[in-house]
Order: sequence, then C-alpha cells, then structure tokens
Amino acid sequence: MAIAVEMPKLGNTVEECILTSWKKQKGDSVAEGEILAEIETDKASFELPAPAAGTLLEVFFEPGALVPVFTNICVIGTPGENVESFRPAAIATAAAPPAPGPAPVSAAVRAAPPAAPAAAFPAAAPTVAAPVAAVTGTPAPPPQIFLSPRARLFAKQHGLATPARAGSGPGGRVLEADLIRLFRESPRLSSLARKRLEEGYEVRGSGSGINHLILARDLGEPPVRLSKIRETIARRMRESLASTAQYTLDSVADARGLVSLRNKIKAARQQGRDIADISINDMVMFAVVRALLLMPELNAEFIDGKLYRRSHINLGFACDTERGLLVPVVRNAESLSISELAAEVRALAGRANDGTLTADEMSGATFTVTNLGNLGITSFTPILNPPQVAILGVNTIEPRPIRRKSRIVYVDHIGLSLTCDHQIIDGAPGARFLKVLREQIENIESLADLKL
Amino acid sequence: MYDLIVLGAGPGGYEAAARAGRMGKKTALIEKQYLGGTCLNVGCIPTKVFLKSSKLITDCKNGLSYGVRVASAELDWAALIERKNKVVATLTQGVETLLKRSGVEIIRGEGKLINRNTIQVGSETLSAKNILIATGSRPATPPIPGLESAGVLDSNTIFELPALPSSLAIIGGGYIGLEFACFFAAAGTRVTVLEMLPQIAAGSDHDISSRLLAELRKQGIDIKTSCQVTSVERGSIHYRAEDGSAATLEAEYVLNATGRTPAVDGIGLEAAGVDFDQKGIKTTDRGRTSVPGIWACGDVTGRRLLAHAATREGLVAVANMFGGDQRIRYDAIPSVIYTHPEVASVGKTEEELKAQGVDYKKSLVPMALSGRWLLENASGGGIAKVLVGAKYGEILGVHVMGDLASEFIVAAAVMIENEMCVSDVAEIVFPHPTVSEAMKEALLRAAE
Repeated sequence: MAIAVEMPKLGNTVEECILTSWKKQKGDSVAEGEILAEIETDKASFELPAPAAGTLLEVFFEPGALVPVFTNICVIGTPGENVESFRPAAIATAAAPPAPGPAPVSAAVRAAPPAAPAAAFPAAAPTVAAPVAAVTGTPAPPPQIFLSPRARLFAKQHGLATPARAGSGPGGRVLEADLIRLFRESPRLSSLARKRLEEGYEVRGSGSGINHLILARDLGEPPVRLSKIRETIARRMRESLASTAQYTLDSVADARGLVSLRNKIKAARQQGRDIADISINDMVMFAVVRALLLMPELNAEFIDGKLYRRSHINLGFACDTERGLLVPVVRNAESLSISELAAEVRALAGRANDGTLTADEMSGATFTVTNLGNLGITSFTPILNPPQVAILGVNTIEPRPIRRKSRIVYVDHIGLSLTCDHQIIDGAPGARFLKVLREQIENIESLADLKL
Repeated sequence: MYDLIVLGAGPGGYEAAARAGRMGKKTALIEKQYLGGTCLNVGCIPTKVFLKSSKLITDCKNGLSYGVRVASAELDWAALIERKNKVVATLTQGVETLLKRSGVEIIRGEGKLINRNTIQVGSETLSAKNILIATGSRPATPPIPGLESAGVLDSNTIFELPALPSSLAIIGGGYIGLEFACFFAAAGTRVTVLEMLPQIAAGSDHDISSRLLAELRKQGIDIKTSCQVTSVERGSIHYRAEDGSAATLEAEYVLNATGRTPAVDGIGLEAAGVDFDQKGIKTTDRGRTSVPGIWACGDVTGRRLLAHAATREGLVAVANMFGGDQRIRYDAIPSVIYTHPEVASVGKTEEELKAQGVDYKKSLVPMALSGRWLLENASGGGIAKVLVGAKYGEILGVHVMGDLASEFIVAAAVMIENEMCVSDVAEIVFPHPTVSEAMKEALLRAAE
C-alpha cells in the first residue's frame, strides 16, 4: 500500500521549506528511517527520513523547489502502484523544470533581471536574434501602459509583450516607432548565451561576437544561489542596521579567574572526577546571565515602539556551522547552574552542527552572545538581533600590561564588545553593564560554585 | 612619419598593409625576400600545387574504379616545378598589384626596430606611429646532429630538388611532413615518416589522426610512430625505434619537417622593448604587444601558425590601431591538413575537452553516408566527428576526414563562431548531393 511523504512542519512559524536535494532517486528502494531528502527552512536545514520501507515510486518536486508544509513530496510503495492520487495538484506546475519568468519555484530558476538599458520588453521571441529582454522575464508591466494600434501590431508580429515603460506618444502612449527603435537597439544573443541567461547568468559589457552578438563568454558568472539561511541572515542584518541605533563598547576583563577555573576543571576531569566540561565560553555566558539578573534592562525586546522587559533570560549564542550562522537559544538560563548551562549549550551546539535543531530552538532569545575569541579577534562590532536591545561579543584572551606599584606585570584579559540599541540603552547604562559583567567574570570561581 | 610600417609581406603583413592603405593611411611594407611570404612561396600554395598533381596521378592509377582506363600516369618533375612557379608568380603578382592599388609603399630590404617607432632598412631610417611585426616563422631545427648535412632538406629547400627522389625519409609526422609524404608517395618516391609521438598530426582529434594513419599506411607510406631520431647524415637517418632498439634508415634525401619557429631574432625586438621569447611575441587578442604602438600578427606570435589566422590577426590589429575595437576569437579558426584524404577541423578536440573537464557528447559518422562522397571516392575511408556540450548541445568541435572537407569546414566555423546549438543546425539546409551532408548528419546525431 503506497504512502505519501509530506513536507513536515519544522516549527510553529514555518509555512514552507526548500527541498534542497534528493538523497534517493525515483526507483530506489528505501529502508524505514533512511534519509530521503534534505530540506531547508529559513533557519536551518534538516534531513527527511523515510516513514516506511519500500520503493521510492515518484518524486513530485525538483531540488530547489519551495514546498508548502504538509504537501506530498514523494510516494513510497511497491513498484506498479498508482501514485497519481498523491500528486499535489495545485502546485504541480510550480515544480516543473526551470522556465524563464518569475515562477514561484526558487532563486535558481528565477530568470535574471534585465541587464541592458534597452531591456524594456518582457517578451518571448523564439529566435536567436531575440532581444535580451525577451529572455530576462521582467515583472509584469503596470497596467497603465497604452500601445498605439500600430505598436500593438508590431509587438504581436515580433513576439514582444507589452513594454514596461511609457512611450513617446501623448500621455506616455507607446508608439510603433518606440518599439522599432528598441527592437533594433536591443542586443542580440547567441543561441548558447540565451540558454545561459535562462540559467541566471547576466550580460556584462557589450557583445564580442560578429555584429556585437552577445556570446556566452560575454556573460559573467551565474549568481550563487543563496541558501534560505543566508537570505534570512542578509535580510535580518539589513533590517537590524536600518531599524536600530547601534553602537559598540569595547572593554576587557581580567581573565585569570576564567583561566584558573578552566584549568581546575581540566585537572579534576583528568583525575576522573564527575565534573562537567565547562568551557571559557560557558563561563562567560554564565557571567552574562548573572549580569543580566543584576541589570535586567538589557534583557528586553523593543517591538513597534514598545519596550518589553523579559522576566526570563533566553540566551542565544551564535554557532558557526557548515550550513551558516545559527543561533540556538538556551531557555530560562537564569534557572540553570553553570554545569547545566554548559550541558545545554553543548547539546544545542551539537544539534546545530548536525542540522537537527528545530525552528523553536532558534527563536525567542532575549539576549545574544557571540564569540570570535577562538579566531584571535581582539574586538569587533556585533550586529544586534532585533527586537533584542543588546548583544555581547566575546574576544580572545591575551596578556595585557598592568601597573602594579612600580612594576609592569602582564595579566590575561578577555575582550568584551557590547553592542546596544541606543533607542533603549544609553551609553552609560551600556558601560555599567560591562562593568557588572567584568565583576562577574573576575569573580567567576565563586559564582560557579563548583565543588572542585 | 608613416601611420603604419609593416614588417613582413606574408598573409598577415600584406593583408594588413593593404587594409591600412585603403583606409587612407600612409603605409609602408618592408619585405626582405618575397611578397606573399612562406605561404605563397614555399608553404600553402606550392604544396597544394604538388598535391593537386599527385592526386591526379592517384586518380589515374585508380581510373578503372571510375570506369576510366588510363594507360600510364607519371610525374614530370620539371613540368610540375614550372606549374608551381607559374601559380606562385601569378599570386605574388596579385599581391603586388593589391598593395600598389591600396597605396602601400613596398620597401625591399631587411627591417630592424631601432626603438618603439623607428625601423632601419639598410641605411634608411623610417619612423611610424604604428609598427606591425609580421615576420612569420622558419623551419625549426631541433638539436639533431647532422641536420646541416647535404641531402637534408627542409620545407623551403625541398622545392629546389633537381628531380623526384627515389626515396625520402621525413622527420616529423605533423601536417607539413604528412602533406609531403602524401605527395611524394603518390608520385612514386619510397617514403618513410618518423614521428616522435605515438600519433601523427599532433593536435588533431585522436579519432581522426588514428584513421588518417591507417589511410596513409594503406597508400604505402611507411610511418613509424614513437621513434626518436638520434642523428642524420647524407643518405641515412639513425633513430631509436618504438621498442627502444637502435635502427638506421637509408634514403636518398631526408626532409626535416619538425615544425616551425617564430622568426623573432634579428629584428630589434630587444631594442624596442617588446616582450617575447623563442615561442613568439606576446600579444593580446587585440593584436597589441607589450609596447604601445607596436603590434604583431601571424606565426611570429606563436599563437596559431596558420595563414588565415595571421590575416585575421593583422586586420584586427589595423582596425584597433586606427580607432576600432576588435578582438580575435581563436576558438573558431579552422585548420586543414591537405593529405589525401584531407582533414579539416574547427574547435576543440575530444582530448582538449577531456583535459578541460567539459561535459560533452559526441557523434562519429562514416563519410559514406554522403552520396557525393561515395561517388567521389571509389576506395578509402572517411569520418565526420562532432563534439557538442552535453547540456545545451552547443557545437564545440567539428572534425572531418574526407576529401572536399576543407571547402565546407567554414560552415562549422560559422556555427561555432555564433555559438549555435545543434537544435539550430537542424533548421539549416545543406545542398544535396554534397560531402557536407556527412557533417550535417554528424551534427544532428550529436544531439541525440
């Protein structure tokens, strides 16, 4: 008995996912739990296991397709069984092979934007001599463009669609002469170049072929298809800078406590004692939680002009994974001991690397920590994750000169870069938070309260 | 002050000078030896005169296959040389007429660059806004002891032979060696070709060169591949055979056909600061050298040692020196080996595509698919091979072994030049009956 496999709902807010790739091909036999496909939300990518054993009878979507959740994406069953009843009717066309035009499939098959200045005509002329505009699939023209009857005839005879911009006639009416001029001035494409354009390449510079024919070599490189995660990061970062008043404060904290505690933990574990493996980053995160408890105004969200002080600390931490930047969230971090916090961070980071985080595990942070210290960074400018009002960047530990009476001694310090939203957090409170945080860090051994 | 001085009157130089002259530019052309260069005097043209005659002999000998009884056919060396000289004279006269009508001043002598815009010819010093170097190439002399011996010829001196030799040993199985081998073998000379590489016709697609090797051997040409000539003396060649053993070959004459070397020496490139090495003058695809105002075209650039490539490079350089913006596209320059059967190619070989990691599809069809080819060739074989991109079917390479291929390969060059795909070719009508129909068939099958 054939069964359909649905696109799962991978989080409360997820409505559609990209089918990144098929791990099994049509006709392959699959065991229950074997990975069928890789799918991607705007937050992370996931592997889709087979719900039952059988043969993969049919797949309904090409890699790259954007599929609504709960839509059938493939059928598993016994060879010979009818699969047509499972075919998702409404969106069948959206999964068709790449075609020019703004089909709602994916960035990979979306036609390139018009590149030439004369590309005013979203048309579909079938010859080699088609103007560039003929294959670039510009968006549908606004309805207020009018064509003269002769222009309309010319457009029909030359396979041109209604132009996207006004013509030279009265009231912006497009005249035949406008179309003739643009048709003649439009660059011509070689057969190969036209096919490449449909793939997303763009014309760069003039045609180098005979009579300025645009050859494949005149096209640049095709655009790199952004992952859903990358698109989301790009949008969020732009929105962050556009909608907040960010500034960054740099400071350093005496790191001798961190280093000492870390060494003690290592030594204890080497002796076989049952002590959690707590990293320096875990300690800093624990110190951040303590500091936020002391200065709750930084544990807040600023949404549509309204400020919400959050009673629980949901601490996000940036993870650099193969799939891109992910920010898992430790919920109710104020209730965790340092060992519990470290365990939670470790578990979430592991799932981030495996791509098995759920969307809910990556949302709801009230404050974020990001660490570039292991890459030797001494200070940087973290970008806020709105609606959060602050983010802490953790830097490398390095010795700094300290005057002690008449002597200069070198003491390990850890760099701290705090970005705040000046809409909510002024400079002095931001600086005070760093001061409180420094005290927590310098006092970490007693705060951690480990029986070492 | 000239607008342009061209150094060398081969097919690169004279065409460029004539173009500049017709554009109304004050142009001089310096030539030390002969108008028309290697191509007209000791290259393309004289060898094709020879090959026309040998083809005639072959056809006569095979006359009965075509229903024609010919009592005997033999080469008259003196008459052949006379015809060759007549053809060459007609063509060089044509070049001179063209240059004069174009208003080009022809200066006889050896030109040498003094600096970036001055050339010395004898005692005269000429200056120009632009200088186009088109000095061509000369037969290569690899370090084989004895090459300078009497009885060792090159592709220039072979035309000075007093009579048809009884036997000829040719060092080099490239297009020069093979064309001479074909001629002399048909004319009645016992011919041996010694080639260093495992294949003949280096640079050709292997599907073609392996079949050409078989065809030429069938004609009685002894071709030894993978053998290294160690020394030469009058009447014999010593070489290491494919199995590594030392061997000696007796022959009345030895022909050194090991390729050609760009003629970069003695023309003052150092004085003018032009970037070059023994492989040629470095040029851009717009014909520029490293020195502004100095341009180069043809064999001296070492790019494509072909007369038609030289002409195109020269014309591109002239266009660019006088305000144009043209580029040479090297991927659609056809080449021909005028053996019998002849080989015509354009674009990439399968070996090149493999080396470049290109995803391709190929088709091979026998020339006998063409009725015209079949009736023209009572014996022998031929093949048309087409290489296209796997995804879009764009034409990447066309290689044809079969007589008359040289006359229609330009159609494939046009297709490649315009980046046509095989789906476009399906709309092109080929005349019937012609040999080109075999190429069409190969093109269409490549799409399947």
